[in-house]
Amino acid sequence: MSNQIDKDNFEPKIVAFLCHWCSYKAADLAGTSRLAYPTNVRTIRTMCSGSVDPVYIIKALLDGADGVLVGGCVLGDCHYQSGNYKARRKMIILHAQLRALGIDEDRVWLRWISASDGVMFRDVIFEMVEALKAKGPNPMKNPWDIWKSAKGGWKPKTINSPRGE
Amino acid sequence: MKVNSILKSENGDIFETVKSFFTKLFEEGVIDYLLVPQRISEGKTLTQTLIKGVDYLDGVNPFSPVMAINSAKLASQVGIAETDKKVGVVLKPCEIRALIELVKLNQAKLDNLVIIGIDCAGTFEIEQWAKLVEESGDAIAKETEVLKDIYAGKTDYAEEDAPIRLRSACQICDRFTHDKADITLSILGMEDDVLVKLEDELAAKLGLEAAEAPSSHKDVLEDMKNARTYKRESAFDEFRDKMQSMNDMADILATCTRCYACQTACPICYCRVCFFRTETFSPEPARILRWADKEGALRMPTEILLYHLTRLNHVAASCVGCGMCESSCARGIPLSILFQSVGNEVQKKLEYIPGMNIDEELPVATFKQEETI
Repeated sequence: MSNQIDKDNFEPKIVAFLCHWCSYKAADLAGTSRLAYPTNVRTIRTMCSGSVDPVYIIKALLDGADGVLVGGCVLGDCHYQSGNYKARRKMIILHAQLRALGIDEDRVWLRWISASDGVMFRDVIFEMVEALKAKGPNPMKNPWDIWKSAKGGWKPKTINSPRGE
Repeated sequence: MKVNSILKSENGDIFETVKSFFTKLFEEGVIDYLLVPQRISEGKTLTQTLIKGVDYLDGVNPFSPVMAINSAKLASQVGIAETDKKVGVVLKPCEIRALIELVKLNQAKLDNLVIIGIDCAGTFEIEQWAKLVEESGDAIAKETEVLKDIYAGKTDYAEEDAPIRLRSACQICDRFTHDKADITLSILGMEDDVLVKLEDELAAKLGLEAAEAPSSHKDVLEDMKNARTYKRESAFDEFRDKMQSMNDMADILATCTRCYACQTACPICYCRVCFFRTETFSPEPARILRWADKEGALRMPTEILLYHLTRLNHVAASCVGCGMCESSCARGIPLSILFQSVGNEVQKKLEYIPGMNIDEELPVATFKQEETI
């Protein structure tokens, strides 16, 4: 149903996993600094961007999010030394995986936002809302539609499935 | 330094030849136990056995045409650090790769293992093999015939009209040798003989003379490598063309019931307890009804897409392409090409080949200063 929503009135839902030490603090700072930004974002605080397992990102995308933002400390500033580098590794794998499956990987963003950068947090949310509005609703968010509208067109070739004989 | 040696077969019986080689390993104290495939059920199938000595070597075939399980999981059960008992483990290259990944995951130890690798021309689905052997009436003769065919590179048992076809993962496997084994056995292009590759000290201990590998061996190796690489690349290209949206993945998984067979069979699905087997994924009825309220229609059992997407994500960097996921699937879902395609993309991006170098860290356990998503 969400597919029929008029693109102009489409308000994307963003799930943001923000690290306790930087990005979450930046969101806090944006608030206390009275910076206005779109209300499309739902934030979830995590202790470190490196602890965000891709399963949570995939679950969010399958359950109604149009985009997922993972926010961590600026590289080199991680409270746990290297958590954000590992978050980046996880994101490299997730993006390559989604690309290989023909799924739009640009709905999943990784940004480094320092605790003192409320302005950057605001800007990222503006930027992301705009990008997601241009993309339209996430086609993954209604799993039953996916099953129902799968065309059965993917015929396992003989090379792929000798068991199917 | 590693040297080659040739074990000559009498009357073309390679099984007898490898049996006497294993006997020598036992007698010289190189190994105290041996994990090796062995015929059961009148030769209709082969299973892994752990044997304690030469008395149990009848019906042993390291070049088993079937693969009941990825034996890396079994090797991890017998690998311990605090012992002087050596266990010889006969492993196919994909099993050695999986074992190396398990070592990196701290789920296996190599200390007391003597890895006896084989050059592998491929394996068949267990059901199909049993049928072929049963119809032939003579299990060992059929096994010998088929093995000689595939290891001579005569036919790749992939054509439509082949009497039996290699498992799909084997058809596109171009990493069918592994140079990290302590001892390598090969019958690729060796006619009736067996080529052994081992350290020169060990060769001397076993009384084996160094010899050049015959050119027929190198030819078969090279031809097979080229043919398989071509096939592998075309399979990946084809998959890439097919995958345009989530619907295409739903097509592949249409018959999945989340039975966990693929997860159980996967040698490197590394969690001791899978998240998907916890209470989180068997919620109370009221919650499921609420989900149905929200979705309108809910596929049951729930979370099939999430399960596979998550497994793909966790396994992709280390996927060794053994194809046990597909062989274990009761529905015959083409999981091998799905996992290998995603694995290929991820591994290319990370410049990581799983199971090759034991000193190289797992991609998720390390990072580079400069890299882009």
